[in-house]
Amino acid sequence: MKKLILSLIVMALVIPATSADARKRKRYEVVDVTSGGSIVGTIKAAEKVADPVMKVETKKPEEVKLCGAEFKMNKYLIGADMGVQNVVVAVTNAKKGKAMPTENMVVDNVKCQFVPLVGIAYKKTKYVIKNSDPVFHNTSIGLMLKGKRSTVYNLALPNQNQVIEKPVKRTGLQNVKCDAHPWMRAYIYAAKNPYAALTGADGKFEIKDLLPGTYKVMVWHEGFGEEMKTIEVKAGEATTLNHTFAKK
Amino acid sequence: MNLFTLRALLSALLFTSLLFPFSAIAQEQQMTEEEEEAAYEAQLKLGEEYYSVNCRMCHGKDGDGKGFVATIKYAEKKGRVLTTYPRDFTVGLYRFRSTSTGCLPDDQDLKTTIKGGITQSFMPPQDGISDEELAAIVEYIKTFSLRFEDEDPCDVIAAKKPGYVGSDKSIDKGKVVYNDMKCWECHGQLGAGDGPKSLDIKDDWGQQLLPFDFVTGELKRGSTPENIYMTFTAGLDGTGMPSYEDSLSEEQRWNLVSYTLKLMGKIGANKDAGGH
Repeated sequence: MKKLILSLIVMALVIPATSADARKRKRYEVVDVTSGGSIVGTIKAAEKVADPVMKVETKKPEEVKLCGAEFKMNKYLIGADMGVQNVVVAVTNAKKGKAMPTENMVVDNVKCQFVPLVGIAYKKTKYVIKNSDPVFHNTSIGLMLKGKRSTVYNLALPNQNQVIEKPVKRTGLQNVKCDAHPWMRAYIYAAKNPYAALTGADGKFEIKDLLPGTYKVMVWHEGFGEEMKTIEVKAGEATTLNHTFAKK
Repeated sequence: MNLFTLRALLSALLFTSLLFPFSAIAQEQQMTEEEEEAAYEAQLKLGEEYYSVNCRMCHGKDGDGKGFVATIKYAEKKGRVLTTYPRDFTVGLYRFRSTSTGCLPDDQDLKTTIKGGITQSFMPPQDGISDEELAAIVEYIKTFSLRFEDEDPCDVIAAKKPGYVGSDKSIDKGKVVYNDMKCWECHGQLGAGDGPKSLDIKDDWGQQLLPFDFVTGELKRGSTPENIYMTFTAGLDGTGMPSYEDSLSEEQRWNLVSYTLKLMGKIGANKDAGGH
């Protein structure tokens, strides 16, 4: 009996300490990359898609004035050569490589829109969340999980020019919303390695300084959805990754 | 062994551990990794057994909130119908935390919710649960989300109620905060949950949420001044209720507690400090 009680006490002391640390998953490791390879390419659309217009639904006079009645969504920014802007291209399985970028991800509330619409945040940097508007906004960042969401931060920004900084901890695709203005939206890819890029107006991207190896690459767009690619990167060489999205 | 000997033995043990705190650490070190793992597995097994009997019906076998009794509609006194869903543990998101927005809950937060239940929902209190079962069910629930493996725990936020909470002055100051912070946009001028934006809010599962009518009754996380303070500070992650930890001072948040208590009818018109 005494032994039993003693072991129960010991168990109670030990269990909270062990469960977290022992089962931690492996984190990204920074190493020297001397003759790394790169991934370059162009993301295109198979056909032109009209950029939708969003109506602003608010009854508050000061918000009607500030936010406008409607706006172009900039959801389908397709160039003359069919290149698609604002596509996230990200290596998802790089466990080692160059140092993480140190720039913070700014999320600004400007005239009832988030600026920028799509961005990349890197682990251990910060989200810098601003409110440039003279109205209440709350900025809610959440991981996108197959029809569900998992709030990363939900912050009240009641005052104009308010700035709140929060560390980037949880990684993956995230959407940004404002509960006070349901039409507001933005997307952030929070990366756990430095190998992520956003396509420019011509649909082109480049990811540099990868160690040679086989990589899984996510290609994601707000309207066209997500594609996973597997490609081989060789030392000192550029590997091409092109993709054409079909209309959904 | 009779009860008295057991009690004597336990007090002796407690006394010894108080006198020699290091003896416990010495014992801890003697436990091998396999033994620790076995102890954890045993705890999870106990948690799973408790879950199967008491939680699975609503929260589902896989912890995704899709049990046999998944959606429950509930009419408030004023006739609004609120739909409540059992918590989906797979996303690792918890409203009732004493940690900052974006953080995992503290173990004690989960224990409080499980043991005390959630008023105005269908989460019943677990009155008869033992401390051992409570710790085990918390560990078991954590296994549904990788967040608990991936993330470091956050600091617990202290909620020490200042003496002025509930005073007329504090209520007045809180009223200003309530207006300036646009609380009324969702919660309505009198806290009835009928503000101009009250119908626009969706939760992380895409379901419509109604701001709580705090005139009609108790708050889900509890109605003590400390509970209310913690809601303003930590936010209710997964809902439209944001955290004001970075945008209001502690004093402003406590004044807002005073005004909320007033709206809830928990403070009489002429009462001074104390609140309840």
